[in-house]
Amino acid sequence: MRVVVADDVMLTREGIVRLLRDAGVDVVAQADDAEALLREVRKERPDVAVVDIKMPPTHTDEGLIAARTIRADHPEIGVLVLSQYVEPSYALRLIEDHPERVGYLLKDRVFDIATVVDALRRIVDGETVIDPTIVARLLGRRRRTDPLAGLTEREREVLALVAEGFSNRAIAARLFVTERTVEAHVTQILLKLGLAGSPDQHRRVLAVLTFLRA
Amino acid sequence: MASTNTGITVVDTPAGGCHNHGVPRVVASWARPARLAVAPIGLAVAVNAFLIAAGPGMFTTYAGRSGLAAGLMVAAGLALVLAGLLASLTSRTGPAGDLAVLAGIIWFAPVWVGWELGPPLVRSVGMIAAGFTFPLILYVVLAFPGGRPPTTGTRALAWAVCLEAVLVALGLALFRDPYLDPACWANCTDNVFLVRSLPALVRAVSATDRWFTVTAATTLLAVSAWRLLARRGRARVLLAPIALPAIVFAAAVGAHAIALALIPLEDPANPAFQVIFELQNAAVILLAAGLATDAVMTVVHRRGVARIVASLGEAPAPGSVESALARALGDPELRVAYWLPDVQRYVDAQGRPVDEPAAAPGRLITVLMQQDRRVAVVSHVASLPELEREFGAAIRLGLENERLQAEILFQLGEVRASRARIVQTGDAERRRLERNLHDSAQQRLLALSYDIRLAHASAAAESDDQARLLLEQALADVQAGLGELRELAHGIYPAILTEAGLGPALATLADSAAIPVELDDTVQDRPPEAAETAAYLTVAEAIEDAAGRDAGYAAVTAAYRDGCLTVTVEDDGRSRTSSMTAIADRIGALGGILTVEPTRLGVEIPCG
Repeated sequence: MRVVVADDVMLTREGIVRLLRDAGVDVVAQADDAEALLREVRKERPDVAVVDIKMPPTHTDEGLIAARTIRADHPEIGVLVLSQYVEPSYALRLIEDHPERVGYLLKDRVFDIATVVDALRRIVDGETVIDPTIVARLLGRRRRTDPLAGLTEREREVLALVAEGFSNRAIAARLFVTERTVEAHVTQILLKLGLAGSPDQHRRVLAVLTFLRA
Repeated sequence: MASTNTGITVVDTPAGGCHNHGVPRVVASWARPARLAVAPIGLAVAVNAFLIAAGPGMFTTYAGRSGLAAGLMVAAGLALVLAGLLASLTSRTGPAGDLAVLAGIIWFAPVWVGWELGPPLVRSVGMIAAGFTFPLILYVVLAFPGGRPPTTGTRALAWAVCLEAVLVALGLALFRDPYLDPACWANCTDNVFLVRSLPALVRAVSATDRWFTVTAATTLLAVSAWRLLARRGRARVLLAPIALPAIVFAAAVGAHAIALALIPLEDPANPAFQVIFELQNAAVILLAAGLATDAVMTVVHRRGVARIVASLGEAPAPGSVESALARALGDPELRVAYWLPDVQRYVDAQGRPVDEPAAAPGRLITVLMQQDRRVAVVSHVASLPELEREFGAAIRLGLENERLQAEILFQLGEVRASRARIVQTGDAERRRLERNLHDSAQQRLLALSYDIRLAHASAAAESDDQARLLLEQALADVQAGLGELRELAHGIYPAILTEAGLGPALATLADSAAIPVELDDTVQDRPPEAAETAAYLTVAEAIEDAAGRDAGYAAVTAAYRDGCLTVTVEDDGRSRTSSMTAIADRIGALGGILTVEPTRLGVEIPCG
């Protein structure tokens, strides 16, 4: 798998690159700002671009903007945004236009390199990846009337995996059940949450996250 | 006391306040009856002129040629006399009014000249006097509205024209023998002042006079037009009734001189000369009407200023003196600025810093002093020169009070601004801390965790179980540290607030709040950063407070409309006992309003 890594802090960029290489990922180029990243992406045509959310010049959301640009210009290239912020707003912004082949992971997740490599694979496969910490925070949000109260334990588990961007097949594999069972769960969950009209696999991440945020 | 030559009146009021206002000092006790006596004299001269024109002067005067010409001439002369009287009796500065009266009387001089078989002395005096109507009217026009020509240039022009008229009069009186003058028409017989007949000199003087008059008239026309154009607003409205007739008058005077140069023998039957004569008289009538109107308005304004006493109540709002003066003078552009000696600057009645009022064309600056201290500076139209002398005790007291009030308001504004700066500095420091934590400590910890992870991998590869376990422990510690650091940084200042605004920041706050938070956020545009921060911290503290009072939930609304950011936080907990001083200070620093109720908090922050 070929990736480009963009991060303006050399220390962390080098760390990420070493971990990725160690795990057998082919890092074909590095960039320290959004402009260089877009240039390398055009040149190298990687499978995925791994992008820090904050980059020069303003250190705010250059990474997000670059991610959306890459997704718009190169539909076949995936983007994994690494961030230090547990901010559902950023994740929602990332997936609202191009919900497939994108991911939002916390930077501290990188030391568990297997998770990152798994996320990269899922992105290449066209899935959406949302950091479990963010999903957990949204699911754990205190509510006056909890719309999740009507869900069974298993349905909650499935909902979390759906929100993290897993496909039905991946969920089935994780929970050791058949894909059909997962499908049934998902239909039931969406019905209970009033998200009927069952959006497709990519759109449903956005729908679920938006629902949880409301 | 005063000097008006720069357009600025500086008036020092001695200790003890008001003095002699309402008493015209320039007007001596004898001047008033003397002026009133002029009225019947002017009327007699006019009647006399009319009789001459109707009889002996029928062919030797313009007035004798037609009823229209006679009527215009009588009206013009009388109007000047009346307007001059009004001006001199109401205005306290300058000789312009008296000079207008004089101009009105000698306006009839050409008729005396043409008094066939009349007293030779009268005819001779007429010849001399006729040359002075133009200089006198020129002075009156240039002196409007201050009573004296305002600039060195206009004063020089007035004096030059006057001096030239004297020289021409002397030349004609001493050396012109009408009998030998080939261009004589109105009077070809009498000059009682003749010393020696010098026809060549007289011709030269007359020719020079004609071209001088053309030049002077053109200058008067240009000056009047320029003054009118240079003025704005109320000042222009005030000048127009004088400047417009002056332009017509100057044009007619110039045209008359040019006509004489072309047709040496003046003939009242000639239509060109007739039109010029009628124009001149019509212009003078309008000019006199303008002067009279202005004199009346001066009285009205003066009464208005005197009446301000009553309209200033016991505790007038800041700016009352300014609006009262503006109303009294009919001058919406009138401004009062107060001098603050401590900070060496001018402020308005609300304590807002303003520029030092500057004199503009047609506007005057009046400075009110109190015991060598500048109290206030008034910029006003020149309709009432020496405005300060019209001020009664009420205005003086009002201005002094407003100055004190303005000083306090100014200081209040300074304190407010400094409070806001303190809060903003604190916020900037919070942001800087958050960014520093993010950019240095967090990055280093991240890099450290990556290094440990690599070490862990190689330890695993070498089957060094002890090292592997130690490194796993280290990884867990670093990860916990990263998590804590992230929460700490977010607590210091949420980066999302700067980057995405109040709505997303409040949503994140609700994500991790200890109690359910219902958000109703309609903020679309971005309010100023200081307001956003204040609103966010208010909500954060209010939710924490609600949780501390065992509330089951908190309902938050946020709206940004008409430059005002409104936030409310309502909960169902026990009644609060805290007065939320930290929030109150922060909101107060931004000039906002905090309403603290037992289970509800309301905040309004102006963002203008």
